[in-house]
Amino acid sequence: MRALGELSETRYWMYLLLLPSLVMILLVIAYPTLYGMAISFREMRLTRPGLGGWVGFKHYAGMWSDPVFWIALKNTVVWVTAAVVLELALGLLAATALNRDLPGTKIFAVLILLPYFLPNVVAGHMWALLLDPRLGVINDLLVRMGVLQTYKAWFADPNTALAATILVEAWHGFPFFALLLLAGLKSIPEDLYKAAAVDGAGVSAQLRLITLPMLKTVIAAAVILRVIGLVNSPDLLLILTGGGPGDATQVLSLYAFQTAYKEFNFGYASALSVVMFVILMIFAAAYIRLSRISKGEGDD
Amino acid sequence: MIESKRRRRVIANIATYFVLATLSTFCIGPMIWMFLTSLKYEADIVTQTMQYIPRRVTLDNYVAIWTQSGFPRLIANSLVVTFLTVTICVATGTLAAYTFSRFAFRGRTKLMLGYLVMRMFPAVMMIIPLYVVMRGVGLVDSRFGLALAYTSFLLPLFVWMLKGFFDSAPKELESAARIDGSTRLGAMVRIVMPLARNGLVASSVFIAIAAWNEFLFALMLTTGQGSRTWPVGLQLMVGEFQLPWGVLAAGGILSILPVIALFAIVQRTMVQGLTAGAIKG
Repeated sequence: MRALGELSETRYWMYLLLLPSLVMILLVIAYPTLYGMAISFREMRLTRPGLGGWVGFKHYAGMWSDPVFWIALKNTVVWVTAAVVLELALGLLAATALNRDLPGTKIFAVLILLPYFLPNVVAGHMWALLLDPRLGVINDLLVRMGVLQTYKAWFADPNTALAATILVEAWHGFPFFALLLLAGLKSIPEDLYKAAAVDGAGVSAQLRLITLPMLKTVIAAAVILRVIGLVNSPDLLLILTGGGPGDATQVLSLYAFQTAYKEFNFGYASALSVVMFVILMIFAAAYIRLSRISKGEGDD
Repeated sequence: MIESKRRRRVIANIATYFVLATLSTFCIGPMIWMFLTSLKYEADIVTQTMQYIPRRVTLDNYVAIWTQSGFPRLIANSLVVTFLTVTICVATGTLAAYTFSRFAFRGRTKLMLGYLVMRMFPAVMMIIPLYVVMRGVGLVDSRFGLALAYTSFLLPLFVWMLKGFFDSAPKELESAARIDGSTRLGAMVRIVMPLARNGLVASSVFIAIAAWNEFLFALMLTTGQGSRTWPVGLQLMVGEFQLPWGVLAAGGILSILPVIALFAIVQRTMVQGLTAGAIKG
């Protein structure tokens, strides 16, 4: 203990403290990542152990003529965009309401936050039950209200499947936006609103001229984190639809996962996930640059 | 003038409560419905006329999920994996978070950015090589192996979250201890850790919930009863035996109980930690 105490006085101490986590990260992140990139240039199928050679860009070229890849790419864009827009809108609404700090707000805040912490497996089956074509309560309510004539198979109809999964995703993800935006709202000084009210600015003008500009950074951070999360995790779609019907809800992450998990085609699955990662990186870089530029203008 | 102002405020309050009530219903309505379903007899779930309030209540579904499906085993596996994940993250991540928060050294910013970028790595991109590597060293279908895999996305998250808590712990007490002759190690263990205790608990709970809930890695990396966690078990039960809705709902309720309990306990500190990074950044 004493020796360790003395060691803590040397200039190597901080590196020593970092060592355990660095070793972990090299072991479970850096090495697998590089190895995964290598796999994407190889033929690797667990069902056929004989294969294992390098095939260069074969998998990447194969993607170009793979219709499912293009469908999945298109669905990914639609799914992520729609979910993020919906979640941002709901999150903003929730945060604005919670920020008024009326009595009882704390309980509402807990209730609204809860879905974010629920497991995908439970969230998925819960909504499958709610939207079930035979005994779903949402169908029953919609029929009673006269919106629907008969019960509808939301997840089995190619026209509604993607929209239904977006609804479930919005339910699961909007609390995240509410959380971050509420913290952002709390950091806006009350005086700004008072001054604006004195100058005669109405609610919409206050929203446009104070709230949204002040929230810009938080919104930018929340959106990028959520986009990353949505692009990367196929869990909910895997549970709700498995990409079907047809390929109506097939997204890139799910396609890559199924190529590995069902077909054991690790080479192609790795190539798919690498392409997905590169697209995400390009998007993130462009997005961060763009939001910086607009922020710079705001500061001037 | 004052009258109309007051009236406007009343209207705004009513609108606020309306929004909050609607969103809360949207959020917990599905959970309440699942809970009600878990209490119904199967005959009352599959009926022509929807029963909104169950006419008869039963605990059969809970008994069924607990006794007939190896559910206790799944829960036990999940507990072990969660515990191992948190242990690894706390043991290695706490030191890193403390270092990032307190010391200036070469490469600090780059390293921290590196920890952040790792959050962008797609799970699928990690799962495939991890599976191949772990199969090579016999860690597929092992609870320790799964915990290691979870570390790959939870450790960077843990470090970032905890760093925020260390940042907000006052540095003065630490300096005072140092002046009184305490070593850096002594100051860290006796002064900083207790100060950041709530943050440490909240960050740990956050990754515990994430590990408890995780589905995709577990699906790929576990194949047998010995290491399978509850999300995978529940999902496979649905596929294999056409699990009745009531039993499935009971399983869902049982498995989210720990999440809700943990969330309720450390909710405020956890929220603070989750938001700190985004607000500053």
